Amino acid sequence: MPRITIDPVTRIEGHLRIDAEVDGGVVRKAWSSGQMFRGIERILQGRDPREAWLFTQRFCGVCTTVHAIASVRAVENALQLDVPLNAQYIRNLILAAHAMHDHIVHFYHLSALDWVDVVSALKADPAKTSALAESLSTWKGNSRMQLTAVRDRVKGFVDSGQLGIFQNGYWGHPAMKLPPEVNLLAVSHYLEALEYQRKVNQVVAILGGKTPNIQNLAVGGVANAINLDNQATLNMEKLYQVKDILDDIQDFIRQVYFVDVCAIGALYADWLTYGKGVTNYLSVPDLPLDTKGTQFDFPGGVIMGGDLGRVQAIETFNEPFFKENVTESIAHAWYDGNWSRHPFDEDTEPKYTAFEDAGKYSWVKAPRFKGAPMQVGPLAQVLTGLALGHKPTAYWATKTLDTAGSIAKTTLTPAVLHSTLGRHAARMIRTQVIADLAQKHWNLLVNNIAKGDTAIFNEPVFPKGEQRGFGFHEAPRGTLSHWIVIRDGTIANYQAVVPSTWNAGPRDEKDQPGPYEASLVGNPVADAERPLELIRTVHSFDPCIACAIHTVDVDGNEVANVKAV
Amino acid sequence: MIRVLGIGNVLMGDDGFGPFVVRVLEALYPCPSGVEFIDAGTPGLDLTPYLFGADAVIFVDTVSARGLPGEIRVYDRDAILQVPPQMRTGGHDPALKEALLTVAAAGGGPSRVTLVGAIPEWVATGVSLSPRLEAAVGPAIHAVVDALSSMGVELERRAHPLAPHIWWAAAPQNLTHPAAN
Repeated sequence: MPRITIDPVTRIEGHLRIDAEVDGGVVRKAWSSGQMFRGIERILQGRDPREAWLFTQRFCGVCTTVHAIASVRAVENALQLDVPLNAQYIRNLILAAHAMHDHIVHFYHLSALDWVDVVSALKADPAKTSALAESLSTWKGNSRMQLTAVRDRVKGFVDSGQLGIFQNGYWGHPAMKLPPEVNLLAVSHYLEALEYQRKVNQVVAILGGKTPNIQNLAVGGVANAINLDNQATLNMEKLYQVKDILDDIQDFIRQVYFVDVCAIGALYADWLTYGKGVTNYLSVPDLPLDTKGTQFDFPGGVIMGGDLGRVQAIETFNEPFFKENVTESIAHAWYDGNWSRHPFDEDTEPKYTAFEDAGKYSWVKAPRFKGAPMQVGPLAQVLTGLALGHKPTAYWATKTLDTAGSIAKTTLTPAVLHSTLGRHAARMIRTQVIADLAQKHWNLLVNNIAKGDTAIFNEPVFPKGEQRGFGFHEAPRGTLSHWIVIRDGTIANYQAVVPSTWNAGPRDEKDQPGPYEASLVGNPVADAERPLELIRTVHSFDPCIACAIHTVDVDGNEVANVKAV
Repeated sequence: MIRVLGIGNVLMGDDGFGPFVVRVLEALYPCPSGVEFIDAGTPGLDLTPYLFGADAVIFVDTVSARGLPGEIRVYDRDAILQVPPQMRTGGHDPALKEALLTVAAAGGGPSRVTLVGAIPEWVATGVSLSPRLEAAVGPAIHAVVDALSSMGVELERRAHPLAPHIWWAAAPQNLTHPAAN
């Protein structure tokens, strides 16, 4: 059977490789392979649990904040340490801002060009584009003048032969179907989104002290001293800076992101039928509302076989249903042995062999919940939200399906969300709810401070002997969990089970494929040399498996002497 | 604004060269006004916020180039972009070139870009540099000082250098932890 291998980065970065067997223009079988050993958890052994988050936020340069938060939550869980309300709210604001930033970047800068043909935008009439935009939203950036300027800028790139960031697109591909006006509008929003993703990240910088690596966390709370009249601390001026940004970003998310996703969903309706894959979904609750992590603004839970009627909720930071049912399998991963173990009991001993279709073929382990592969991410978040009656999620999901349905002149039900474009829609729906909840948590923080509560930190105390803890965070890409074993105050074992491991993981000991692998089966492929359709489905998960290293490729040659461990 | 950005992963051996150099740089020289020294980690496209509003940017990073480990090479913007970025499966793959091109597409970003690159020897899980890369820290700092000088900024060495804050390279302190008692 003809086989497509997408392995674009063959040098030391060694990232995600996708293999697909194609027959009759349709994918029949697929493999997802992480091409780099990390095992960074091993660096943590023997260290102080209070410093673990400094290291874990360096796992990945993009997902810094999420690994920091999961780490402090894991240690707090091991010690059963409460976290003051102010600290919860400050953390929640950082997490919300990070998630909005991440989702905007993903949609516009990392995946929109899978759907939007930049070169086609040159054929658009800016006046018609502006009229179309005005029928969909009142966004200030959709004027004829602005759209003319964008078209001229893109024309400048094309005429000079310097397409720059746009040069890698599959322009003119038969699977590109948007009319020129929609392409121009999307390119304009691509450029505007650069400004908004930068802006919302300032919330992380103001509250976290710095991006990309925040400095304000501590096991037991945060390090943001609160004194409303002091320039050096968290004060009213900084809080109002945050509020202004949250207002601006909410405007962009409602007026631009919402409309763009609805339009693309409506105009590529066939992509609401491809890419379903694994329909077991996992999400965890987040945005805690109390000091113990028993009440949350976002629900979490488990759905098996797409059956929303039989959802099982995950309710607290101590949830035994979550704690007891996570395992990882190395049956098809390049590690020594063939076990399936609980994260507390895992080890990470690399043993590389060749890429073997029926054997070992990835550095990513295969996480399982009660033995089943699970899809994580915004789609899981939205579906568990719908299943558990989460009103804000239901509101935005309904609005999205109604709007896309009216553009497509059809009726769309939540069933279409189990798909490649459904994942993009779910990510946007989640972002709308986050934008609303960020406002709520800003108010909760300000009101709590106004009551005279300035507590930010509970000192951790490490008893002699062994404690085990787990901390989870419902990150932009889905359920992230850190698992820690502490012995006599130092780290004895540490494992991170990350969202892209759930989604990008290989087969397990029962040969059940992971979500990427399953979702590719049935995808059409029009041109095996330019497998845009496969890229679309893989990108819909927002892959992020190895930002771990960063070497600039200057002359396209292999590094002289690299040890792969 | 001129930004000196150390890029790399401090948990991956020689890949941590950029952050390492920035930490040593700030220990040797006070950062003058109008200049920022930043340990940026591996931010991918999240580099773009550092590029907007900057007149000039100096990256310190590892480079994949012909030569021996520890050699320092200095590149300008055109040389960095000579090999175009490739189609990526993961959207968050290393993206220094992508960040430069993205900012250019938006019509902003620094007019001057310098990359001080070191050829790595050992990129694998670990918190320290290989001896060759450790020896390259001094030359890299020279290159940064020269690049700043060519932009009209003269750094003045501290009379008493600080201890570089390379927290990730410290050995685990398991015996001094209060809980051990």
